Amino acid sequence: MQAVATKLIDVTENNADKIARQWYADVRKNPKTPSYHDLSADRAIPQAVDFYTKFRGVFSAKSPFDEARRVYAKYADDCYEKGIPLQEAIYAMTLMRRHIWLYAEFQALFVSAVEQQQAVESLNRTILLFDYATYVITERYQELMKGEIDRQLGALRALGMEESFTGSKVGIMACLLAACGFLTYYYHAVMASGVIFTHLFYIPIVLAGVWWRKKGIYVSVLLGLILISSHLIILKGVPLTDDLIRAIMFIVVSAVVALLAEGFTKIEILYKTVPRSGATQEA
Amino acid sequence: MQGYATKLIEITEQGADRIALQWLKDVRANPKTPAYHNFSDEKALSHAVAFYKNFRALFCTDKPFEAARKFFTKYADERYSEGIPLHEAIYALILMRRHIWLYAEFQAVFVTAVEHHQAAESLTRTILMFDYATYVITGRYEELMKREMEERIRLDSKAGSFSQKLIHGGHAK
Repeated sequence: MQAVATKLIDVTENNADKIARQWYADVRKNPKTPSYHDLSADRAIPQAVDFYTKFRGVFSAKSPFDEARRVYAKYADDCYEKGIPLQEAIYAMTLMRRHIWLYAEFQALFVSAVEQQQAVESLNRTILLFDYATYVITERYQELMKGEIDRQLGALRALGMEESFTGSKVGIMACLLAACGFLTYYYHAVMASGVIFTHLFYIPIVLAGVWWRKKGIYVSVLLGLILISSHLIILKGVPLTDDLIRAIMFIVVSAVVALLAEGFTKIEILYKTVPRSGATQEA
Repeated sequence: MQGYATKLIEITEQGADRIALQWLKDVRANPKTPAYHNFSDEKALSHAVAFYKNFRALFCTDKPFEAARKFFTKYADERYSEGIPLHEAIYALILMRRHIWLYAEFQAVFVTAVEHHQAAESLTRTILMFDYATYVITGRYEELMKREMEERIRLDSKAGSFSQKLIHGGHAK
């Protein structure tokens, strides 16, 4: 088998570029690989060339599964990065395999009866490698999909400080509210003005919405009350309309943030509880 | 090819139960199919027997992709509902294919040079069927996962969650 395998590998390696181009012409029009129809030759062909040049390593490996895992996990990463759906990534690889054999047949590599028998053995070895490749790519895609969602959800988790500052949320909020109270007093009593400083109130309002969802609305209500009370006590004679609008906006923003945060949490729960999206589970 | 294929198909059909048992032993111990390690014998065997019994229809059809789509969509639906992860569902199927050949080899179906040539053709045809199978199952799993996620979001929205409606622009039914 080794001789015919070497022959097959040599032909594949020496003509990697030619076989890759034939493969590219195929995936460009194959109805099962629509994602490749608009993929430029510069992006697609190197992927196939890389595949054909690594064929010897996988084919001859003593531990073919380990080698397949190493090589085809990279293939999966590459396809995923290009936005190719799993079924197409696998089918494109299937076509790569077919084009090895089409080229070998075209070169009349297996003619005699002995060569035909060797071809069967060689085909068996190739199929084994592709079985491993399919397994590795499928598994890797699921890992990548899960990783991507985890990363996206991670941004919200970081904002929610759910993993790092669990114990100090109340403390941070108390400090922010105290600072808002001081700013209100300073601007109303010392500067006799109501402009700009209320923008800073949105920091505790947004954080409260993210941390405590609907309960966070109480913080905006409290800030609204502080603002209006201060206005009524200190800025007598100045119309209340502006601060009243500001207080209403606190509550509106707080409600929107709370609802969005609640929605993201539900999406996270939904994602985690979809059982067959990739995680291995007990049957 | 047809004559040889008939031989292979007949061996597979007649030995369906025996091949299925050998396959079961394999998936039970194979580290790449952990979901099958605690699966009930009866259920798992039914997967393999169904495949071996339908082997003729899949092998001899004039429209192999259409036949594969029909059979393996059902296979994907069943494995998905049983909670088998995609890569394991595909690997279990690969093992089914391997056990046909192991059984055929054990039965010494390919002996002469001509039979070897026919074996190569038959193998190529089987591989084609499995290429289609992988394509169909992978696509179907993706569809099912998407559908399940949408269904859950729909049910959640129906339960009255205003936030879901807000996120989905009020399109949740």
